[in-house]
Amino acid sequence: MRTGEAIAMATKQETKATGIGAVEIPGRDNQMNCADFQRDLPLIIDSGGSEEQEEHLRTCDVCRDLVNDLRYIADQAKLLVPMLEPSPKVWDGIEEKLKLEGLIKPVQARRTP
Amino acid sequence: MTSGMPESEAIERAQQGDGECFEALYSMHKRRVYSLCLRMTGNTAEAEDLTQEAFLQLYRKIATFRGESAFSTWLHRLAVNVVLMHLRKKGLPEVSLQETMEPTEEDGPKKDFGAHDQVLAGSIDRVNLERAIESLPPGYRIIFVLHDVEGYEHNEIAEMMGCSIGNSKSQLHKARMKLRDLLKITRAERAGARK
Repeated sequence: MRTGEAIAMATKQETKATGIGAVEIPGRDNQMNCADFQRDLPLIIDSGGSEEQEEHLRTCDVCRDLVNDLRYIADQAKLLVPMLEPSPKVWDGIEEKLKLEGLIKPVQARRTP
Repeated sequence: MTSGMPESEAIERAQQGDGECFEALYSMHKRRVYSLCLRMTGNTAEAEDLTQEAFLQLYRKIATFRGESAFSTWLHRLAVNVVLMHLRKKGLPEVSLQETMEPTEEDGPKKDFGAHDQVLAGSIDRVNLERAIESLPPGYRIIFVLHDVEGYEHNEIAEMMGCSIGNSKSQLHKARMKLRDLLKITRAERAGARK
């Protein structure tokens, strides 16, 4: 058996045994499968991958959906704005400590807006 | 105040010990610092204590601010360090870093080799995302908040947390995968409730 045929057969056997999908590209024996792609994904998701990895992404629905989901989560996280504010007791505590340390002088009765 | 006073002037006067200007700076930045503390700890009481500590440190250190970066960036970094120091003092494994900070397998996300179900796009609202972040294992949550919410780069996170850049990338990926799982569960529960 030639080397290329052996690799192709091994890949098909791995796919059958583990359920791990592999993209079928005619003429390419040593193609990237989902396990390989997802193993490297942490390092490439924000910066882009090699030609082979990008090819896998273009042709594999499962990995493409995964990457789209992860990028969507990251994009949504960027939109989170500081909504909540601390209770007034936080400033009271700061002011009290600074006065105790003599760092600020007592201010007339007044509260942070 | 001080109302209408430019931030740069408030900083300059606070550096000279003006308490009212310091209070004005507190008012300008309290939401962002508190949100950071709350998201990183997931605990309201801790977040308030840490917000207080961050501003106390700010008062003590403000004279050293030289304007080499934006004041908000400088303050934010100071607040992150306060939170990380607090978590280290608590002795939590999530900040002992490197591989020991990895959550257990059952905490972690599953790999996705075969399942092909609906994508998340368009289905996340702010409340659900905040809740999902809060329920992340602490190690994942800290990296996710620093990178995806607060916008720190991996090299900055690695420096702050004393880990490798690769470790930061790996933890971030696991955090996003775990969030994906959590958000899909939330979506399925909401769909089930509507039936």
